[in-house]
Amino acid sequence: MTATELLSLLTQAIFVAVFVLVLVRTIGQPTPAHLDMTVFFGIAAIIIVESRASRLLGLTPPEWVTDLLIVGLVALPYVLLRLLDHFTRVPTIATRASEAGLAALAVAVVVVPALPGPLLLAVVGYFGIVALYCGGMFVRTARRTQGVTRRRLEAVSLGTILIGVDLVGAGIAGFLPEPDRSIVSAAGQVLGLASAIAFYVGFAPPTVLRRAWQEPELRAFLARAAQLPRLGTTLEIVRELEHGAAGSTGSSARVGLWQSDEGVLRFWNDDGSTSDVRPGQHISGRAFELQRTMLSVDPARDNPAAAEQYRTGHVGAMLVAPITAGEKRLGTLVLTAERPPLFAVSDIELARLIADQAAVILESRALIDHAARVRAQEVATRMKEDFLSAAAHDLKTPLTTVVAQAEFLERRAARDPAAPADVSGLRRIVREAKRLSALVTDLLDAARLEQGRLVGEREPVDLGRLVAETARRLDALCEVDVRGAVVGSYDARRIEQLVQNLLENARKYSPSATPIRVAVWQEDGEARLTVEDEGIGIPAADLQRVFDRFARASNVDDRRFHGMGLGLYICRGIVEEHGGRIWAESAVGAGTTFYVALPLGDGRRLN
Amino acid sequence: MIRVWAWSGGTEGAGPPGGHAATVNGHEHAATRVLVVDDDTSILDTITAILSQEGYGVVGAASGEEALALLRTWHPTLVLLDMRMPVMDGWTVARLMRENGMRVPIVVMTAAENARRWADEIGAEAHLAKPFGLDDLLATVARFGSGRRD
Repeated sequence: MTATELLSLLTQAIFVAVFVLVLVRTIGQPTPAHLDMTVFFGIAAIIIVESRASRLLGLTPPEWVTDLLIVGLVALPYVLLRLLDHFTRVPTIATRASEAGLAALAVAVVVVPALPGPLLLAVVGYFGIVALYCGGMFVRTARRTQGVTRRRLEAVSLGTILIGVDLVGAGIAGFLPEPDRSIVSAAGQVLGLASAIAFYVGFAPPTVLRRAWQEPELRAFLARAAQLPRLGTTLEIVRELEHGAAGSTGSSARVGLWQSDEGVLRFWNDDGSTSDVRPGQHISGRAFELQRTMLSVDPARDNPAAAEQYRTGHVGAMLVAPITAGEKRLGTLVLTAERPPLFAVSDIELARLIADQAAVILESRALIDHAARVRAQEVATRMKEDFLSAAAHDLKTPLTTVVAQAEFLERRAARDPAAPADVSGLRRIVREAKRLSALVTDLLDAARLEQGRLVGEREPVDLGRLVAETARRLDALCEVDVRGAVVGSYDARRIEQLVQNLLENARKYSPSATPIRVAVWQEDGEARLTVEDEGIGIPAADLQRVFDRFARASNVDDRRFHGMGLGLYICRGIVEEHGGRIWAESAVGAGTTFYVALPLGDGRRLN
Repeated sequence: MIRVWAWSGGTEGAGPPGGHAATVNGHEHAATRVLVVDDDTSILDTITAILSQEGYGVVGAASGEEALALLRTWHPTLVLLDMRMPVMDGWTVARLMRENGMRVPIVVMTAAENARRWADEIGAEAHLAKPFGLDDLLATVARFGSGRRD
């Protein structure tokens, strides 16, 4: 056996082997793409087996058999074109032209007894043009895809170009004199082997090769994966997962997350809206319900309910993999493509890998969220405990005077009924009892505020006059600046309480002799009130928080300043129930200004 | 400035307090000089008034600084000390007393729940958890007020 013969045998064996592999796959999954692949390799295998068999048995096949085989050979590039159409849209004109060419050549081959030179040239030319066109288109399609699909398409395009060159060479060789003819045909054998290997790699690659091709994409995906659970929001994680899955598979990817409380799979659309899918609904819902990876090469047929959406969205194939961590169902990964993937097995494997990785990422995220919730609960519990201890402290302080002083007065009266009344002792009791009453009122107000019914009946009130009177009554050192009448519909008692709380707050955190400035004016159709002090100030980070229940600024040393952290909380409640706003500006060490904006006229309308 | 709320003791440093406080109800408390420290003026006024009428020598201090000044000049035999005070708190007062070798018994007065623990922290003789009754106050002062600790 010569080297050329060995090459030829090897090439033919590979073609037949690829045919068998493709046939097996087509029987398992008879998609149009697989059928075309089988036809392509089937024709090649029949030609090879027939020529081998007739040579081995020394038979000369009847002429019609030879004609049929030649027509089959000429049809090969056309089948390739059809195969190409499964990957990318082949222009109709190209399909029609190749069909016409094939028909004309088939008729010519059957009608003309022996192949004359011009017909042979026409066959070779047709073959070369169509095969090279397909090869070029495969290259272009490969460029647009990624991962395993890209590698396989590259191999297929190489095989197509090589077989085109090979057959053109074989055709031309017939017109050449020796020894050129032998050289060309030997080169043709090598090209034939190369194309056979390329087709093998492209259409039926061994698992080890598929794994190797998947590796870079998976590696890139995994490299990002470690960072994902720490992203700000779950939506950001979903977007990154989608991006990574799309990059690794060369398709569009969507991740739907299971919302256990609502019983739906939620997908986030690009426009910010969401789409919910119930288990069992659509293909994604079915895959989720069955916990199985599902491939649909005709989604419109498999799920007619969404056929219109698939058509407008150019969804020609859909691969859905459930995202599941152990027993916990987290969601689904949905990959969509314009055309069914030819290499579905690779894509399914990859989709499963990505879905598993997504499950790990989402579980990590859930754990991080859980830890954050536990921490928040701890903080809330601590705030509550701090509040209870502060409340207890604040209530016990005036009680100390009331109890001790009252007991002492009682003892004094028992010892000496004729003794004059201890007026200063009685005054202390009265003052501290009032203080207690104010504290209890604050606690009750906070409870009332929780239910949103702090503010009662409103009536037309001149805010300027009310604030000025209250401020002067409560704090002699207060400077009041009222610019004109500012009339609105307010609960006068609560506004008084607001001013009192703000003033007491300002006084509490300011050196005793420093002035506190109060101003009331009208601006932008709102009533404005400010209370400005030169006290210890509030750190910027706490400016929002000080209005929260039980909250106190971080620079307040609770050994120095007792308090329940309710004053500003009640202030905010009063202002907001009036339909207004309250905020603070401050510089630590320099002082704080509290701003209040209240609606003018009938506040109810703005509520 | 030192503000003295009640002053029934005698002249600085020595001698029995003169006047009305010498005997009340037949008890002689004159040797006991109580310094009351609390930033809440109502409590301060009440306790100084009670102890003064019970015949003790009493001075009130509304802050840690005032308390330290009085410790140096008036030499009390017992300190009733509030813990939570602005600027200088009870812990600081106790530490500075120790550092200056003042071995006067201290009774912690606080409305906080951990009165006992705080008393242990500063090495106080006893604690009075606010609100305390008159009997508690008088019994505690009677128990520790008689002299210095060693």
